[in-house]
Amino acid sequence: MALPRTALADLRRIAGDRHVIDDANDLRIFERDGSISGALPEAVVLPADRDEVVRVVQVAARHGIPVVPRGAGTGLSGGAITLRGGIALQLSRMRRILEIDPIARTAVVEPGVVNADLQQAAGRLGLFYAPDPSSQKACTIGGNAAENSGGPHCLYYGVTTNHVIGLEVVFADGSVEWLGGDAPDRVGLDLLGVLVGSEGTLGTITRVKVRLMKLPESVVTLMAAFPTIEAASLAVSDVIGHGIVPAALEMMDQVTIGAVEAHYRAGYPTDAGAVLLVEVDGLQESCGELSAAIERVLRANEATNLRTAADAAERELLWAGRKGAIGALGRIRPNYYLHDGVVPRTRLPDVLRRVTEIGDHYRLPVANVFHAGDGNLHPNILFDLREAGIMSQVEAAGEEMLRAVVELGGTLSGEHGIGIEKNAFMPWIYGPDDLEAMLRVKRVFDPAGLLNPGKIFPDPDRDPHLVVRAGFCAEARWW
Amino acid sequence: MVVDGLTPGRVERPSSADQVAEALRDAAEDGRSVVPVGGGRALGIGDPPQRFDVALETRALDRVLELSQADMTVSVEAGITLEALNATLAQVGQFLPIDPFNAPGHTIGGVLAAGLSGPLRLRYGSPRDFVIGLRVALPDGRLVSSGGRVVKNVSGYDLNKLHQGALGSLGVIVAASFKVFPRPLHEVSVETRPDDPWAEVARALALPQPPVALELASDGRLLARLAGTADGVRRLVAELDWTAAAPDAWEDHSRRSGDGAAWARISVPPVALRGVVDALPEGAIWWASPGVGVAHWTGDLDADAVRAARSSAERAGGSLVLLAAPVELKRAVGAWGTRPSTAAWMTRIRDAFDPKRTLSPGRYVV
Repeated sequence: MALPRTALADLRRIAGDRHVIDDANDLRIFERDGSISGALPEAVVLPADRDEVVRVVQVAARHGIPVVPRGAGTGLSGGAITLRGGIALQLSRMRRILEIDPIARTAVVEPGVVNADLQQAAGRLGLFYAPDPSSQKACTIGGNAAENSGGPHCLYYGVTTNHVIGLEVVFADGSVEWLGGDAPDRVGLDLLGVLVGSEGTLGTITRVKVRLMKLPESVVTLMAAFPTIEAASLAVSDVIGHGIVPAALEMMDQVTIGAVEAHYRAGYPTDAGAVLLVEVDGLQESCGELSAAIERVLRANEATNLRTAADAAERELLWAGRKGAIGALGRIRPNYYLHDGVVPRTRLPDVLRRVTEIGDHYRLPVANVFHAGDGNLHPNILFDLREAGIMSQVEAAGEEMLRAVVELGGTLSGEHGIGIEKNAFMPWIYGPDDLEAMLRVKRVFDPAGLLNPGKIFPDPDRDPHLVVRAGFCAEARWW
Repeated sequence: MVVDGLTPGRVERPSSADQVAEALRDAAEDGRSVVPVGGGRALGIGDPPQRFDVALETRALDRVLELSQADMTVSVEAGITLEALNATLAQVGQFLPIDPFNAPGHTIGGVLAAGLSGPLRLRYGSPRDFVIGLRVALPDGRLVSSGGRVVKNVSGYDLNKLHQGALGSLGVIVAASFKVFPRPLHEVSVETRPDDPWAEVARALALPQPPVALELASDGRLLARLAGTADGVRRLVAELDWTAAAPDAWEDHSRRSGDGAAWARISVPPVALRGVVDALPEGAIWWASPGVGVAHWTGDLDADAVRAARSSAERAGGSLVLLAAPVELKRAVGAWGTRPSTAAWMTRIRDAFDPKRTLSPGRYVV
């Protein structure tokens, strides 16, 4: 289906011919994001600035056309998929770092600024931006804010919502507001807190103000090997149980280690059942004391091959293996389905056992690489899309894993979002009244339902299994 | 129980979340207005309510629902006091870094609804940063949950944020879950009374690891709390070179309040705080968290002086809010200041949750 000709003409007038794409072949580039779904937009618009965004949104409102904001398209839950067609609002031309204030330690950026580029600019001033998704070399700050992204260092520093202090938002009616600001307390309802993580369903982010932090004086990165993933999980709980919250605490299982080592030669022992990567930062004195304490706890939990990165280069290499792990898994199977769920940290051994059983049952290799300190697991189901009928097996396995997460008191997503990947499962963790409360907010900001339609909330039209799935709800247990 | 000179027609003391929801629904259906009351420590916030038919006291909801030491999370009913909760957490070496003024006696629900925070915000952030789940009774009698009991969660809208600081204008918080923190391995409090307190503030904040709390008062006294490993704290104490603070210094500080007079909270970007505080009237009594950007100003505040201070706070991109004040002062200057540009959106959200204005009508921003 194509957009009304008058709408297209309006869009061309607003953004210029070069920045409106409606050729069927060119549109295919925007069909997918980092998730396993896809749908074609009817047009892609690449606005140059906020005013163009406003005018595009006004045209969309006038014609009843869906609008889906899009950053780098690295999202894993289908947030950037134009499920109902309409306009993909590609924000990558808006990629200026507008201001870095080294005194106030804040930065104002356009939404298309790449996370790693902000890190680099901040780093030159001795500062850093804490949220560090593994896709940070590509993903954008606007996308991070829309999805409330996480990353390895969120264990200590918190996720995106803890670091975004202001947003400029274009609402569905074309109005523009700054939400939040530099003052610690704001008068009135915390709209900023609701917009962060709303996955483009409440408005389009056109500017982001973030808090920056001073780079720590000292960083120590430790690697330890464990005979089993259970032993590594218990070590994680034990470290935290000792009152130590490291900056990061990451785990990789044997499947992942093999793939990563073949690719990066980071020095992970390939015969280990699991590897933990632990990082502490802060004062030089504290790092020494904390890393020694962590070493003691890890050794008491069957750790072997304990190694401390000797210098920045070695630390980089250890992290390169972790952050590049997903790509390295291509050595095992050409395709992967990266899942995201969170359990209370102490349930990690239980949930990982279930994940293994489910993978075995479906005869699908599973690689685990995840934020163990937060209880945030990422099972990667590995497969070859060329195998007939494989997709339904992969999806069924993923659904069972997610179900196990929820049954253990966990949640559907820790950092990837709901999108269209998990909206059908929302009734597992929220009752009808809980979802109705969220819908009230949706209807306030987007009464016509044009902003990123079909996301977050269960859609009975699209998912015939919904009724069956909704038969189970683990939430609403407040004793 | 008195709010701005009004006494309620009746006081309800529900002992379960369901009873809170029922009481709210009944009141809404009958057109009665409800003011939720926790510990009664923050009843002075906001404009005088238009009506006060029912006081809904949550103090009977005071149970710890779940405490998981190794998961470092806790779920509690909203009527539990901060002191009771922290005493429980202390048994497992943990704590919740919420330290509002006018302590003790704040309930969890009250602190969250009123959006209060204290000196520890410098290191730990405000409750907004570590509330992971809420359960709220709505005026239509529904009990709704948001978030969960895990420390990282992006499943659906973050409605936890919407109710914090909303002063119970959308619903009444009946339970909350938190990410908690390990008690610091080592901690030392120091103080000083230097000739140039703001220069000393800057020096303390520029330490390689800033204090977890740093307070400056109008009498020139600076109080800092340094936490971390033993060696690390030793180094910070040496670099700062202040004198040891009295053991009850923080407890004394947390008892500060409007003391029956007016009490204003100024909240501005930290870099602007000194300018706003310097412009307060000669002899003003105040205390501040300079690293956070918050100052508390108390006394027999004059309407013109409040207007002047508010205008300088707002020009700096911040606000001046009355946490308590005589009704005449509230009526003269308003509790909240200039309406935010987003007030229309806020009103629509209020319409969606509390269409009949059952909850504290007239008291909140919208």
